[in-house]
Amino acid sequence: MSKQINVALIGNPNTGKTSVFNALTGLNQKVGNYPGITVEKKEGICKLPRGVKAHIIDLPGTYSLNASSLDENVVIELLLNKNGKDYPDVAIVVSDVENLKRNLLLFTQIKDLEIPTILVINMSDRMAYKGISLDIAHLERELKTKIALVSTRKNKGIEQIRELIIKHKELSVEPCLNSSTIDESYFDNLKKAFPNQLLYKLWLVITQDVNFGKTDRKNYEAVEDFKTKSKTDLKRLQQKETIKRYQFINETLKKGQTIDLKSAKDLRIKLDRILTHKVWGYLIFGLILLLMFQAIYDWSSVPMDFIDSSFASLSEWVKETLPEGAFTNLLAEGIISGLGGIVIFIPQIAFLFLFISILEESGYMSRVVFLMDRIMRRFGLSGKSVVPLISGTACAIPAIMATRNIESWKERLITILVTPFTTCSARLPVYLIIIALVIPEGRILGLSYQALTLMLLYLIGFGTAVGSAWILNKIMGLKSKSFFVVEMPNYKLPLFKNVVLTVLEKTKAFVFGAGKIILAISIVLWFLASYGPGDNFNNAESIITEKYASENLTKEELHQKIESQKLEHSYIGIAGHAIEPAIRPLGYDWKIGIAIVSSFAAREVFVGTLATIYSVGSDEEETIKNRMAGEVNPILGGPLFNFASGISLLLFYAFAMQCMSTLAIVKRETNSWKWPIYQLVIMSTFAYIVALVAYQVLI
Amino acid sequence: MNTIIQNTLAFSAVGLAVLFLAKKYVLPTKKKSNKACGGDDGCGCH
Repeated sequence: MSKQINVALIGNPNTGKTSVFNALTGLNQKVGNYPGITVEKKEGICKLPRGVKAHIIDLPGTYSLNASSLDENVVIELLLNKNGKDYPDVAIVVSDVENLKRNLLLFTQIKDLEIPTILVINMSDRMAYKGISLDIAHLERELKTKIALVSTRKNKGIEQIRELIIKHKELSVEPCLNSSTIDESYFDNLKKAFPNQLLYKLWLVITQDVNFGKTDRKNYEAVEDFKTKSKTDLKRLQQKETIKRYQFINETLKKGQTIDLKSAKDLRIKLDRILTHKVWGYLIFGLILLLMFQAIYDWSSVPMDFIDSSFASLSEWVKETLPEGAFTNLLAEGIISGLGGIVIFIPQIAFLFLFISILEESGYMSRVVFLMDRIMRRFGLSGKSVVPLISGTACAIPAIMATRNIESWKERLITILVTPFTTCSARLPVYLIIIALVIPEGRILGLSYQALTLMLLYLIGFGTAVGSAWILNKIMGLKSKSFFVVEMPNYKLPLFKNVVLTVLEKTKAFVFGAGKIILAISIVLWFLASYGPGDNFNNAESIITEKYASENLTKEELHQKIESQKLEHSYIGIAGHAIEPAIRPLGYDWKIGIAIVSSFAAREVFVGTLATIYSVGSDEEETIKNRMAGEVNPILGGPLFNFASGISLLLFYAFAMQCMSTLAIVKRETNSWKWPIYQLVIMSTFAYIVALVAYQVLI
Repeated sequence: MNTIIQNTLAFSAVGLAVLFLAKKYVLPTKKKSNKACGGDDGCGCH
């Protein structure tokens, strides 16, 4: 009968363990189940020289010997049960050259069970691409084992594994870590209570919630002079063990492994070197942003114009087709106009999320987070604030909730307070309509002034968030900074399906989330603009007819004057005139004032409100943009939306805290009204001052 | 008759809109259970 060697093939998931198994066993393998459980058991025979056979078991992938699943229990049971028929004569730990540090944790644990262990370093063909070089002799010395450098993809190193299996008896069984160093007094007691047992094996039996045949943990608990520790203490000691193992691994790899990024030929590393470069990285990111905003403008103008004119025609059609009356007016002037003010922005919102989704899917967004982390640190924030600030470009609410993983309360509070400065998607409709009205359509180096203005507003928002974080940091005296770890995913071509789904989901959330509020506000505004108290409203027709009796006005001109008279003296007109003195220095009239007040619920309501107010005051079939462009400044004459008032409005919306939902979420996250009130007062005052200065300087 | 229907529909819509906005921004919302979900953040959201 020929001799048989039991071999256990162990390793982290995705290290190519099964490829090694296939290379060793070829077709001599069978698949079954471990007794009593549904975990797959793969075993095979590897023929070795001199008639020796190796019985190889491909064990389930595991990260460590601290079991947390049935699969992992299988590994531990096999390694601890010395009397089991599959107990290995030799263990092969398969590791991946790119993740050697993580893989060695499992290796050191198995080595400490005093089982002869071979370390297989797989995927060696990737070393040149990654700029990795290994000092095998040093690693063998420190890890007290033999190493096979293998590439299953290129079928290299398999023969070396076979030779090492035959010579397994020559392998050292000296442990990597002296278990007693985990907790000396506890392990001394353990040693005294069970003098004939292997210390690390005892430790594993005590700490795992599984029974191992004859080595039942109850046997240990029954020994009177040995006091077991509580579960919490055992967990703490397990953590200590892991730290000690990583200290050992780090020390070993310091000399045994070199990673030279400069000599790396891997596309990912090459790209990372450029995209995360301290100069090129930011330049490329800036260029991508420029292209993104330019494309948003260039691609969405046609569908936007189509939607705008469609809503204008629909409103006109409703007025002409339905019988005259209050409800017809509500539909035509309130609901359709208000909804048109949100639907018109669907193309631009969809394009914005299309680009963001492509950047995320391709793996580039993680590099942006890494780049931003560098800036954050200079302004006193840690990298953990990057994610909320970047996700704030979609919406401040989930961004503020994302601050929950920041351990330091002060750091978290600062992030919560500054996040609303980043340009959220609700600001986009306001920016887009104002930019279209006041920024000329010309281009510079192929980039339109309008796209550049939009990008500048995004940068102003982010810059203000970071700048105010720095100020708050100085005021609050923040000392400790939490660390931030981001895993850089591989670059990949974005999946079309994922991109489409993201765009649909985000656009739907924007339209339906804001749509309900806009619809309700449009209805209320229509009522307030269509009805009013007193003679000036109720007798508007006779007042105007009498007033302009001497002038030869056409029927249409007279009708327009009556509508204006009604609007001026409607409920909303009265309210608007009441707040006008406060906003007049900023270059706004009472209608803009009403839009600002109503958009306190949500910023995107601004355009819908103006669309409704202008629609009630006019009978003509016009697009929102044309109506706004045609508005005249009642005091200075000329267009109401000129360069000075437009820039003033843009800056006001860049800084003002115009979102009730954000205030509510800040209250919930800080558990106090104090912070949202500070936020509201400070941001609104700052916005008012900046808008005032901008208008007064530019006028 | 037509005016009555038009006015009824219009003012009902206004009433519903006011109710919706009041419910969303003015009236207090139901407090969620304080029971935490297993994590110790006491979020009460699970």
